[in-house]
Amino acid sequence: MSICQDLGLNFQQRMGANISQLERDIGSEQFPPNEHYFGLVNFGNTCYSNSVLQALYFCRPFRDRVLEYKAKNKRTKETLLTCLADLFYSIATQKKKVGSIAPKKFIARLRKEKEEFDNYMQQDAHEFLNFLINHINEIILAERNQSSLKLQKPDGVKENVTCNGSIPQNTEPTWVHEIFQGTLTSETRCLNCETVSSKDEHFFDLQVDVDQNTSITHCLKCFSDTETLCNDNKFKCDNCSSYQEAQKRMRVKKLPLILALHLKRFKYMEQYNRHIKVSHRVVFPLELRLFNTSDDAVNPDRLYDLVAVVVHCGSGPNRGHYISIVKSHGFWLLFDDDMVDKIDASAIEDFYGLTSDIQKSSETGYILFYQSRDASC
Amino acid sequence: MAVQSDSGGKDDVKTQFVTREGTYRLMTLSEYSRPNRVGYTSGSGSSHVRVSLVTLPPGPEDGAPGSDGQGSDDRICFNHGKELYVYVYRGIKKAADLTKPVDKKIYKGTNPTCHDFNTVTMTSETVSLIIGFSTGQIQLIDPIKKELSKLYNEERLIDKTRVTCIKWVPGSSNLFVSAHASGQLYVYNEELVCGAAPHYQLFKTGDGYSIHTCRTKSTRNPLYRWVIGSEGSCINEFAFSPCGANLAVVSQDGFLRVFHYDTMELIGRARSYFGGFLCVCWSPDGKYVVVGGEDDLVTVWSFGERRVVARGQGHRSWVSVVAFDPYVVGFVEADRDPGGEGGQCYRLGSVSQDTQLCLWDLTEDVLRPPPRARASAHLSPNSQHLSPNGVPGTKAPRCVKTNKIGHKHVELSAAPAAGEPSGAKTAVRAKNNSTLGANTSGARGKEEAGVSLGAHLSQRLAGFSFGERRSEHRRNFSLGKPERPAAPRTPAADPLRLIGSPACPRFDECPVLEPLVCKKIAHERLTALLFRAECLVTACADGGVNTWARPPRPERRRDRSDLVD
Repeated sequence: MSICQDLGLNFQQRMGANISQLERDIGSEQFPPNEHYFGLVNFGNTCYSNSVLQALYFCRPFRDRVLEYKAKNKRTKETLLTCLADLFYSIATQKKKVGSIAPKKFIARLRKEKEEFDNYMQQDAHEFLNFLINHINEIILAERNQSSLKLQKPDGVKENVTCNGSIPQNTEPTWVHEIFQGTLTSETRCLNCETVSSKDEHFFDLQVDVDQNTSITHCLKCFSDTETLCNDNKFKCDNCSSYQEAQKRMRVKKLPLILALHLKRFKYMEQYNRHIKVSHRVVFPLELRLFNTSDDAVNPDRLYDLVAVVVHCGSGPNRGHYISIVKSHGFWLLFDDDMVDKIDASAIEDFYGLTSDIQKSSETGYILFYQSRDASC
Repeated sequence: MAVQSDSGGKDDVKTQFVTREGTYRLMTLSEYSRPNRVGYTSGSGSSHVRVSLVTLPPGPEDGAPGSDGQGSDDRICFNHGKELYVYVYRGIKKAADLTKPVDKKIYKGTNPTCHDFNTVTMTSETVSLIIGFSTGQIQLIDPIKKELSKLYNEERLIDKTRVTCIKWVPGSSNLFVSAHASGQLYVYNEELVCGAAPHYQLFKTGDGYSIHTCRTKSTRNPLYRWVIGSEGSCINEFAFSPCGANLAVVSQDGFLRVFHYDTMELIGRARSYFGGFLCVCWSPDGKYVVVGGEDDLVTVWSFGERRVVARGQGHRSWVSVVAFDPYVVGFVEADRDPGGEGGQCYRLGSVSQDTQLCLWDLTEDVLRPPPRARASAHLSPNSQHLSPNGVPGTKAPRCVKTNKIGHKHVELSAAPAAGEPSGAKTAVRAKNNSTLGANTSGARGKEEAGVSLGAHLSQRLAGFSFGERRSEHRRNFSLGKPERPAAPRTPAADPLRLIGSPACPRFDECPVLEPLVCKKIAHERLTALLFRAECLVTACADGGVNTWARPPRPERRRDRSDLVD
């Protein structure tokens, strides 16, 4: 049983003192059965990946589907998804409760898959999340197409193959869609003919601007503020058959199971010709409902619980560190690469941001993961 | 710096703002803070500066030790970081003199978090100030006489967590209540000792709360322990109703719970739209409870109807303090209707972590019950507090044994619980109003006398209604919606089931108010708001306590008699 070698994973035994400290903090009786808290070793600036992976691991619907995928797909060719599944599987099947793991194979695969990540530079955690979610989704779609093509031969007709025999169009959502995908509806009113047109688009996360001394609730409301399209940014009105000034607003029509919110904290400043970190204090509650839902929203009062936060520490996009805080079985844990600590829920306020700009460095919530409460039971 | 420049310009800090009654102006010379504020860094983010104000009774002659001979009987207390200051408060009349604090304290290893003056025992020369600390201890001092200093929970055997709110029991000379981050609330008698680690025995239990007493032969502190809400969810604030009978408690679990203080019955509750409730206050007449919280909303709950009647949306972040302004009454009053019940209009203020002050008008058209009968809503599980005959108060005072320790004002307290249906209420309200501004203890005696009859009556009624209520309660259960959970213990505590109920209406089912004014008045988040006859007082996390003069209006109705009808 050399599963460790097979998976290309190194298991590290961290100093006994530290491990038992976490176990002591949680308490052996309180320690949730079948749960493992394993840090991830840093391979040189891979904290962007570690922090996101930990957050995703503690998004239970996502973890469950990844492990399910692992169980169903025994020996397929290596993809980023199989590497992720192997990593999650190895965490979930550890004998020890706590420790750390080196996600060697996952990082190696990631570097092969995407050039941008094939170096030892700082990466943006949100770009990585975005890439990972989309990439996994594409893998699932590709595998589904393959299997449906195979199935087509014996069965003749397969539901999700289009009639004209072209490339199968999978309209059925993947489990990645089911977990992360929401729908935005953008309503545009042409200021010339007053015609309102609406268009739906899907999202895996919402990217919101941050304002000083506000809440994520407010940032989301601003996200849906009406904007006027004018000058270079006019709207092509089908009714007028020309570019016209228009008013536009985007509201959430379908609320996803897991709502990922990206706080746009890296702002390009022309006068410096680089990105500056915006450390504004933006509070985020442990529980959330959305105010910016469309009138025809399916589940407008869906109640979310904060389950994970990717935190950026430091002064700018290219210098700093990522950690994550996650909620597991009612308590909060801080994952800092290979280190895991139990923290008090009240410590979360340390990651809201700064009310003044005097300090250069800050530890601020960067990606928030809210999970719908109806999903957790 | 770079970031500063792009946000600094558009949102200037206001030093005055206009409402329909005129212009409120910041009195720049009346700013209270630590004497040498420059260079002080507030450090960690949890600097919750709170303000207590008291008006001492006038001394026999001028020049009493407490007043500094400068004609003000007001004292202000505020905390900032490790420090606590008491000054003579000169309001808008004279500039603050920060060089001569009445008292100042700097603590080691702990921060004062909240405080309250005792208005019953105070004289022109003495006043009891109770102080709660971030590490759970409680201190009683007299900042004027400086002889007194007692400690409670000194060894932290009672509670180790932060004191989040501390208040004297209304009308009591020696009882105070402290709420803690642990989700527990304790009743202390300042004359009793704390002693060894307490052993509790269950005294009373209800939906989502339980009350314990110490298992000892001799009476000792704490007299009672209230465990409120889901496990370990911080109690953020509590407030006694103006009559002193009811206690409204808001917690991190997103609930407002209103108890009848003496009988310890839960008589109503509301749920935030999401997140914790952070602050709570009562309308001057005790008819409404207003809460603010992490949903950025100001939520108005009707005591009489036991439902959320309106939500105010205007803050850009969490609401840290809500307070009614008892000195501004509605202009609706002009067309005063003879019934007296209809034309009520309230002025409400709120401050938030968004550094803004909002003022709201709660007008009759919003507060009026909806025309359609809410029969369907009454079937929802959380409406169980409504007794069958629709008179909520009848069930309240059924637990007579509670008045044995310290609960001296039991008679007076029963009335307002029973007091909703009009008759008795007007009288009570009139009296309440008379106690508004200065918290004078004088009115209390009268109130007690006038009201004890009602209490007896409702106690007798309680015997009947209790059984009835039970059956009603059960009937509700069997009628209940199909989604009833398996565990019926706290079925109504689940926010997924509460949504759409009177305790937490859907957002589009409930009137949404817009603020009358909404002004950025500080650079740091705001942490205190008090309304005074001549001014309003705000405090912010950097330790500054500001005074805003009300608009100068000669014919303004500041007269308290105007409030009554």
